[in-house]
Amino acid sequence: MASDQPDGAAENDQPPALTPEPNVRSEPAGRRSFLRGLAGGVAGGVLAGGAGGYLYHGNPADPAAAANKAAVLGRLPAVPFHGKNQAGILPKPKGVTAVVSFDVTAGDRASLIDLFQTVTDRARFLTEGGTPPPSGIGGPPADSGILGPTVVPDGLTVTFGVGATLFDDRFGLAALRPAHLATMTSFPDDDLDPAQCGGDLVVQMSAGNTDTVLHAMRDIAKHTRGGMQANWRIDGFASPARPAGTVPRNLLGFMDGVANPPVTSATEMKELVWVQRGAPGEPAWTAGGSYLVIRLIRMLVEFWDRVDVGEQEAMFGRRKDTGFPLDANSLYAAPNYTLDPTGDIIQLNAHIRLANPRTKQTASSRILRRGWNYDRGIDQVGDLDMGLIFTCYQQDIKRQFETVQTRLIGEPLVDYISPFGGGYFLAVPGVTGPSDFYGRALFA
Amino acid sequence: MNIGRSALPPPISREPVLMLTTVMRTTGLLAIAACAASVATLAACSSGSGQQAGVVTVSNNQCGSSWQLPRPGWHTFKVNNQGTNGAEIDLLDPANGAVYAEIESSGPGTTTPMSLKVGSGKYAFLCLFADSDPDQGPTVTVAGHVAGTRPILPVTYNDLYPLSKQYQAETEAGLKVLAPETAALAAAVRDGNLAAARRDWLTAHLQYETLGDAYGAFGTFDDEIDGRADALGVNNPQWTGFYRLEYGLWHDQSLQSLTPVASTLNTDVGKLVVWWKTQQVPLTDIGRRTHEVLENALEFQLTGHDDYGSGTTLATTVANIQATRALLALLDPLLTPRYPGLAAVKSGLAQLQALLLKERQSNGSWIPVAKLATQTRQEIDAACGQLLQELAPIASITEPRNTARGF
Repeated sequence: MASDQPDGAAENDQPPALTPEPNVRSEPAGRRSFLRGLAGGVAGGVLAGGAGGYLYHGNPADPAAAANKAAVLGRLPAVPFHGKNQAGILPKPKGVTAVVSFDVTAGDRASLIDLFQTVTDRARFLTEGGTPPPSGIGGPPADSGILGPTVVPDGLTVTFGVGATLFDDRFGLAALRPAHLATMTSFPDDDLDPAQCGGDLVVQMSAGNTDTVLHAMRDIAKHTRGGMQANWRIDGFASPARPAGTVPRNLLGFMDGVANPPVTSATEMKELVWVQRGAPGEPAWTAGGSYLVIRLIRMLVEFWDRVDVGEQEAMFGRRKDTGFPLDANSLYAAPNYTLDPTGDIIQLNAHIRLANPRTKQTASSRILRRGWNYDRGIDQVGDLDMGLIFTCYQQDIKRQFETVQTRLIGEPLVDYISPFGGGYFLAVPGVTGPSDFYGRALFA
Repeated sequence: MNIGRSALPPPISREPVLMLTTVMRTTGLLAIAACAASVATLAACSSGSGQQAGVVTVSNNQCGSSWQLPRPGWHTFKVNNQGTNGAEIDLLDPANGAVYAEIESSGPGTTTPMSLKVGSGKYAFLCLFADSDPDQGPTVTVAGHVAGTRPILPVTYNDLYPLSKQYQAETEAGLKVLAPETAALAAAVRDGNLAAARRDWLTAHLQYETLGDAYGAFGTFDDEIDGRADALGVNNPQWTGFYRLEYGLWHDQSLQSLTPVASTLNTDVGKLVVWWKTQQVPLTDIGRRTHEVLENALEFQLTGHDDYGSGTTLATTVANIQATRALLALLDPLLTPRYPGLAAVKSGLAQLQALLLKERQSNGSWIPVAKLATQTRQEIDAACGQLLQELAPIASITEPRNTARGF
């Protein structure tokens, strides 16, 4: 079946070709009232215009050239920002990521729109790259400068999502709440910390290098100080596939996300990932979006490392070394549960068997799984605090993630993991062009 | 080649003359470059200089004698100092001396980039070499109606000097209000009246915080009067001042044991009053403090770091807003014509203050930041963060600059 193909074997691994022409843009008219201080500042008007990627003439720092040079230096080229869907959803995790949840502090609907426009403007500039404008004598530098004088794209994607709480009574959006958006369910094996759950908004920034992600984070935060406040944050990284050509491993040492639906299959993306126009109960503005479930899952790695490998493999249903299903001789082979009805080879409560039973009835519950590893210090007994930033995309959280998660309740693996945070969001539809912005249709 | 590219702006060329022709033909915009001491034609200019595009040479007797632009827009001049010593190099509007861009310190033999968006208008370099008279280069006119970097009228030392005197006097008056308040506080502690001591502590501390002592305005006095326990620890006898007293008054320490603490505080304030009269406020400090006072409030008050028991850091922040307002009032005549964001600063101050005052209880007590509802705290922090962004440009705008006319 299609889902047995390697996840995105032909997907966006190779970044799109760079446009060779200089990225000279005219300055957008006007200025967001939301950024009133920066707007008033001498550098302010310029700063918004920076979204277009300004250049210094005579100093050819156009993003395309910068990206070409940067690629040589180990930086990734730009991922096109504009599109029907957000650009950060389908690509496989690569490099590093930061997930930041925000609550909106903007006081009214107009300020909320300003906020969404501002985040869009910054994301457009940051993902395209370019040279930030100088402030002259009118203020501190417009840019943190941590990427040097020219902002390199470095494969940055900025994925923007909205949470259920945005649709309370503050902004008059209650009637437009996405049909499947709710507060994250607490499952029986969870140990959720409210301080690390939920949020009105979520911004996930992923790029080739940590400095690129931190640059984007500082830039977006600086331009939105009055409009939103960070709730919780977690940083992650994608391990390289080891050995090369396989699938990256999680911090339990197992390959993660082998059985994803292929992102190259428009049909499966349509059936599983993108919210469709006219979907029952779904407000029109959500079409082209995708529900994002984020689960922060601590892995008790010291405990895990004291477990026999045979037991570990039984819990997952895959070999630890090769990633093969226990009943097969290749990584992407589909386990044949029909031939193993009593779980003699892959036990009935193995993770891969519960997560994806590979039946006709369960096909529609598949998710696009995007895992990132996290590592953040130690706990009270000196054990390492590391684990998984589980993210997945789907068009219906109940039909997909919650159905899968319900099947996983009580799986043997739960003794070695502890979900402690995250949230449900709708990654809004893509920004289709220079005059579009995140969630524009929501405010139409 | 993709046919759609014809819609894009012409490519950027390193050949200024060629580029200029393209721009003239396609957009009708005209950049006139100045050669030598007079406005000259393009042809004369381009054939005469033979210099690398964007390079501007300055020396003790020549200030940007030859520069030209392919077209309006973002541009980086490479200012090459061929003089014998260091210089400040400004690019200004010769009509009124408003500065588009500056290089604060250009060393001899160095080439320093100067970037700006060159729009329609008049431009001239101003060279301020150490030990030389200011030298203004030729005027360059960029025709058309293209918006560029907005020039700012430089603030001069002469502009700031009277403000510094006024600030000094206002602070002196504020200290004279403070002195009897710390005396009353010391008396209440000595008398063993805890309620009065706590009340008088808050009154005096807030008065002190309205003086905006950020970043060492009061020298070592601030350590003695308003120092934190940070490096010392709360049990260290070297820890003195308001916070030390707060710690004792709200941690059941005997008023008898606190009597010397309160007395020392009062004495130190008295010394400060005398010392302050002999001080001169550095001119750059006034502008910088417009954001530094509230930067400190965000770092120490809104985080709760400086809550040693009274739970009044929100009140302290209100006092810091007052201090910031006083600085802004002084600078208002300079900022009004120079900073379009000033109105937003004022509304931001009002917004933050209103949010803070909502947390004052009817009995006059304050809600400690640690006990604020999450949403309230987010609103306060967001308002403060936004305000700080808006305040930030003021230090740059009001930094005193040498100018040919103002100095």
